[in-house]
Parts: sequence; C-alpha cells; structure tokens
Amino acid sequence: MKNASETSAGSSRVKKVVVLTTAMLTFIPFWKAAAVVLCDFGSSAFYAGGIAMRAFGPAFPWYILAVMLFSGLLLMLELEACSLFVRGGAYKIVREGLGDTAAKLAASALIFDFILTGPISAVTAGHYLCGLINSFFELAGFGLELPESVVSVAFGMLVTLYFWRQNVKGIEESSSKSAKIIAFSLAVCFLLAIWSFITIALHGAHLPPTELHFSREALGWAGHIDWMQTIGLVGMIMAFGHSVLALSGIETLSQVYREIEYPKAINLKKAAWLIFGFALLFTGGLTFLSAVIIPPDLIATKYYDNLLSGLAMSLAGPNFLKLLMQAMIVVCGVAMLSGAVNTSLIGSNALMNRIAEDGILTDWFRKIHRRYGTTYHIIHLIAAVQLVVILLSRGNVYLLGEAYAFGVMWCFVFEVSAIIRLRWKKAAQKRDFMFPLNIKYENYYIPVGLILLCGALLTVALVNLTTKQVATVAGLGFTAFLFAVFSLSERLNAKRANTMFEEGYRERINAETVDDLKEAFADLDRPHRILVAVKDPENLYHLGEVLSNVNADDTDVIVLYCKPVENVLYRQDMRSAAVDEQEVFTAVIFMAEKYGLPVTPVLVHSNDAYYAIAQAASVADAEEVVMGVSGRYGANPQIERAVMIWGAVKDRELKHPVTLRILWEGREVSYRFTRGNSPI
Amino acid sequence: MSQKEQNKVSLGRLIAPSRVLMADEYPGKKELIEALVQAVCRDCPQLDPAYVASQVLKREEGISTTLDTGLAIPHARLEELTDFAAAVAVLRRPIVPTAENELPIRVMFLFLSPAKPTFFQQHLQILSALAEKFKPEFIEELVSLKDAQEIAARLAR
Repeated sequence: MKNASETSAGSSRVKKVVVLTTAMLTFIPFWKAAAVVLCDFGSSAFYAGGIAMRAFGPAFPWYILAVMLFSGLLLMLELEACSLFVRGGAYKIVREGLGDTAAKLAASALIFDFILTGPISAVTAGHYLCGLINSFFELAGFGLELPESVVSVAFGMLVTLYFWRQNVKGIEESSSKSAKIIAFSLAVCFLLAIWSFITIALHGAHLPPTELHFSREALGWAGHIDWMQTIGLVGMIMAFGHSVLALSGIETLSQVYREIEYPKAINLKKAAWLIFGFALLFTGGLTFLSAVIIPPDLIATKYYDNLLSGLAMSLAGPNFLKLLMQAMIVVCGVAMLSGAVNTSLIGSNALMNRIAEDGILTDWFRKIHRRYGTTYHIIHLIAAVQLVVILLSRGNVYLLGEAYAFGVMWCFVFEVSAIIRLRWKKAAQKRDFMFPLNIKYENYYIPVGLILLCGALLTVALVNLTTKQVATVAGLGFTAFLFAVFSLSERLNAKRANTMFEEGYRERINAETVDDLKEAFADLDRPHRILVAVKDPENLYHLGEVLSNVNADDTDVIVLYCKPVENVLYRQDMRSAAVDEQEVFTAVIFMAEKYGLPVTPVLVHSNDAYYAIAQAASVADAEEVVMGVSGRYGANPQIERAVMIWGAVKDRELKHPVTLRILWEGREVSYRFTRGNSPI
Repeated sequence: MSQKEQNKVSLGRLIAPSRVLMADEYPGKKELIEALVQAVCRDCPQLDPAYVASQVLKREEGISTTLDTGLAIPHARLEELTDFAAAVAVLRRPIVPTAENELPIRVMFLFLSPAKPTFFQQHLQILSALAEKFKPEFIEELVSLKDAQEIAARLAR
C-alpha cells in the first residue's frame, strides 16, 4: 500500500527527516526516582553513625534518628522548590530568589560537599570491603590483617577512576540499577533488623545513653568558649551538627525531579515519602540497632569506619552466618556507596554546567568531548580534586566526615531563604506543594514554617562553624576560592555571558537522520497517536493542552517541527541539532518534563510545513493533529490551508477519522476528516 | 434523502459553463482572480465584484491557497452570500510564479462561501474535497478538454 509520503502530491516537500533523542524524554515511576535518591542519601547509613560516635559518644543514634526525622522537613522544602519548576536545582532557585551573588556562593558551597561526598563514600566502601576480608581471614585463621587505610584509599581511588571514565563517556545513571540496589538493601535491612531483634531478645539490651561526650576535635573552637559548654541546648545543636552529614545526598531529589513521570506532583510526593521512610528505617533504624547491639568500646576501636559490619559481627549466631551477613552488607554498601561516588560526579558536573550555561565560566569549562559529547574538562577537574582528597585523607573517614556538611547546610540556608523570598516575588505562581504552616494575607502565604526551618538551619550552620573546624576552614577556603574563580571568570567572560544569558538554556539533543517518515515512527507502539506541530518555543499552549489531557498509556505524542528549507542539496548526518531547533525542542522537552510525559520529537526539513504535517500525520497514522495558532495569519486561514493540503496528499480511504485542531488560549478551531464523506 | 446527501454540493450546479474560463495563458494570478470574480458576480447581483475581488486578494496575502498539484483555490467568506458560489479557470500554459515561494497554477478554482459560522465546516470540507479531486491526472484531463462546455460537463460527472 502506498502511503502519503510516497504520493505524487507533496512528495518533494519533506526533504529530510531527523529523529531527536534526549535522555530527558524517558520518565521514571516514583519508586525508581526514590531509588536513585536513596542510592546516594541512604549510603550515609554506612558512615554517619561511626563518625557521630567518634564526635560525641554513644548518644549518636538519637541524633542520627533526629537528623533522619529532620530530613522529612528538607524533603518538603525540596517539594516546594521542585513545584516552582525552576530548572537547575538549588543553584537556580537561589538565583531566582536571592540573585547572582547568593547563587554563586550557594553553588560554591554545594560543590565543596559534592566533591567530598565522592571520597567519603569511596573510602567508606573500601573500609567495608577491607573489614569483610579481615573478618574472613580471622575466621579462617589466616593470621593476616590488611591495612584498612591503604585498602580504603586504593579502593576509593579505583572507584573514583572508574566513575570518572564512565562520566567522561557520558554513560547515564541507570534508575533500574538503582532500584535493584535499593531492593537488595531493603532485603538486607529487613534480615538484619529481624536478626537484631532476635539478638536483643536473647541477650537483652539497653537504650543508648543520651549524655554527650564530645571529643576535643569535635568541640573545635567551641572548646574555648565557656558559655557554649554550659547550655545544654547548645550541646544538642552541636551534636546535631555533627550528625547532619547523614543528610548527604538528599539534594539529589531536585536533580531527579525532571525525570519523574506523570502525574508529576503526586509522584514526587510519593517519592519523598518513600525516601523518608526508607532513610528513617535504614539509616536511622540500623544505626540505632548498631548502638544497642555492638558494645560501645568495639564501636570506638574497631567498627567506627564500618558500623554496619560491626552490627553483623555482633549478632547472636554462628560465625559463618554472621560473616555471610557481613558479606551481604558489604555488597549492598559497596553498591550504594559507589553509586554515591557516581552521583557526586554527576551532581557537581551538572551544577558546574548550570553555572557555565549562565556564562559564569569560560568556554574552557564548557568544552565538549569530541567523541562523547560530555563536558570533560569539568569532569576531569572534579575527579582530580576527589583523588587528591582521597590521598590526603589517608583513608580517615572521620576526617572526611568532619570536613563534610559545611556546603549542604549553607546551601540549604540559601535555598530556604530563596524560597521564602519567592513566596513574595512569585506569589501568583501556582505551587503543587507548599511547605506547611502558612498564614494567608491578601495574595500572599506568609511562610511561617519555612521561616522556622530557616532559623533552625541557620542555627545549626552557625554552630557548625565553631565546632567543625575542618569543615569551616576547608569549606570557607574552598567556597571563597570557587566564588573568586566564578566571579573572575564571569568578568572575563562578560560579553559571552550576556549572549548566553539571552540564548538561555539549551537541551543537549542527539539528532539522527533517517530515510523517511516511516522509519521515524517505527518505534511507536501505542495504539493511538497524536501529532503536535510546533514552531515557536514561546507558543506551546497547544502542546500543553495535549499533554494535560492525553492518556499516555495508550497514546504516543509526536512533536513535529518543520524546519523551512528552500533546497537541500546534500544529505549529511547531523551530529547535533542546530541552534533554532534546539531552542524549539528545549522548550518542548521542558514542557514534557513538566507534565512527566514522554514525547517523540521529530524534525523535518521541508519547504512547506503544512505538507510535511499532513504527510507525517498520515504516515504516523495519527488520529489527531494539533497546531498552535499563527499570530501572523490567524486560525481560519491556517485550518483552510491544512484541509486543502490534507486533501492533496490523501489518496486512500482513512482507516479512522482524523481530527485537526488549532488551539490557542481557551479557544479552538477544528475539523474532522471522516471516511468517504466527500461533499462534492 | 440522508443528511449527508443533503449536504452534498454538486460541482455541476456550482460550475455552469458560464463560470468556466479557458485560456492558453493568463498574465498573472491577480488578473485571473478578477476575471473569475466577474464570472461569479454576473449571476449574483447582490455581490459587488470590486469588493469580492478585494476580499479574495486579501485572503491571498495570507497563507497560500495554491497546491503543488497546480491547483489554486482562492477563496473568501462573504456576508452577502447565502449559498456557495464558484468559478473555474483552466489554463493550457500555467501561470508562472513571480515570487520564489509561489507555485505554477494550471487550474484556479474561485470558491466563495457564506460567512455564517454554520457554513464553516462545510466550507472546509469542500476545500479539502477540491484538493483531493484535482489531482495532477485530473488537471491534465481538464486541460486536454476542448472548451468550457466540456469542462463543466466533466466537473458535473
């Protein structure tokens, strides 16, 4: 059977067909999104307890638990931040709310923590692995013990090098892999918890003490401030401040938000609940059980760097079973912690890219890898700093932990301040979620809850400045250095920055030339299809209408952009889409992300858009063709042209009626083509 | 008679021989439109040819009404009409496009519709059907016919 693209009428109109792909057009269910976040956020369970124990003694599980409860508030903060749909996470939110300088400061601080997350996770994974090998040697009576610091540094460097290579190659994080890791972790957590309760039933247990015993390092400069040591609440805040590193990775939610499928707001809430529940049970619960079951002296001397291994080895039962349990914990720990190393590289690279897109960084940073299309200079730089940090730490997780949390706390302070500011600045914007405790006053919601949260975060961040010396010195130094680099680079790049700011963000899109329209639609497998023609990135009302009403389970949405060409003399593959279609498709992808629905973007080069639309709709067997209104011609001339072209390319009976719709602000002009109803 | 049948518009009724122009060539699109408007207005005294021509030409300034089959369907929706009206021109030599984005015209079908919104869907239906009917083979056939009578008869079939 001949299809429309092969008919004589208009056959020469479609000159070239390009199928566009981007990682951002695949959307994931809420549980996969939660798994991606948990692979990073949940990994702190493997080191946060041990570090807190060394900082302020056996009361640590209470504070880790408190931090996990506090994470619920931060997740709600992220929910409101995501509902504003400002692409680019905390950095862009802060820029929107507080301006460029605050955004640069927040980003500099956050990059400091991103850079530390990699080494702390990689080195911890090395400790767990080494702990397992040593347990095995001990059980087997080999009389050998591997030096943990050497093994952890070597393993940490290997993991970092591996993910550095993967990131340069641009291999995307797999949400399915993350889901498998989390499912396995959940099973291990369940087993460990059951066995722990059996152990408690057999051996008895006491609740961990609540008294705080700060080490000299943990007191930091506060050790010289007498009044700080006399007020109990200050001590509690100090202990809380030493435990906030358990929040490591929570900010990943704002990165993964883009990928969550429809209905986005509901799924985001579900993901947040899942993250909260898992973190509370996994990090909070297991840390608590560790403190109850492992004798405190063993935590202090043997298991501070691999607390959960210590829990496995302290359970009641035969040694080989305990070793098996430890092995399972190590597998899950190495997988989660390695995932966190990868996320730290992805996160810092993405953040640096957002900054570079604003023209703050010079072109050197934005240089794209010729083969893989990644910003490899940034990746090289981050990985190099992480490797140096691993070497300098000499495998000391406590030192890394003490340095951590400066960035995440200050970044949250900036972010919550920005969101408070946006309550006024963007009062009219609809929010799918608002942080609780608000007082309605005229058109504004006064964010009492957010102000309290800001106060709490600021208090902890300020107390941490005095107690976490390493974090303060290293964090402030690094932030100041990075801020200076950004400011200097921005000044050097001023002219370019203005151009890039005007151009705005461009989605990275891969373009593949195919032989014909049929090939472009070959992968569509849903029974119904809607073809949406787009032209102007500022005029996508019709696409929004389609996405808000379509049933994505049974309908493919094809988004067609007809690029006008006079002549196409040479067929040549495009490696990347040219600027104008990138602008159009960036807006399309942004809208698809907003609704969490996949679309199939297709670019055709044609010297008559109406022919191209009719041919594409016919080949795709679309039941609906939707166009936006043209500001120049108006809807009626548009639909007249469209029906004429449809008649010209049609040379067979329709399999089903086709509706042509032109939509604009609440209005519609439509026409329905039906079978065999020629009026003449 | 079904509703569908009632809605049918006979090309034979729309295009009487007096509304067929046949020429070897025509100087331009505008002149041809004006000639077709004259042909329609002869039988429709309520229509002012100058006004109708201005409406059709105004519509032509917007999105093109010419298809690459060689068919042009200049059209307008007029308050003065209560029914559809049309005229057709068949050219032995196509009108050569003057602008780069224009197409050569072999057949021009002037189509006038009542402006009432209730006629709009049928207006679109007829535009689509005309484009479907006037495929290149059909146009060739019309061009090969001897005179207006034959063309009108062929259209009425």
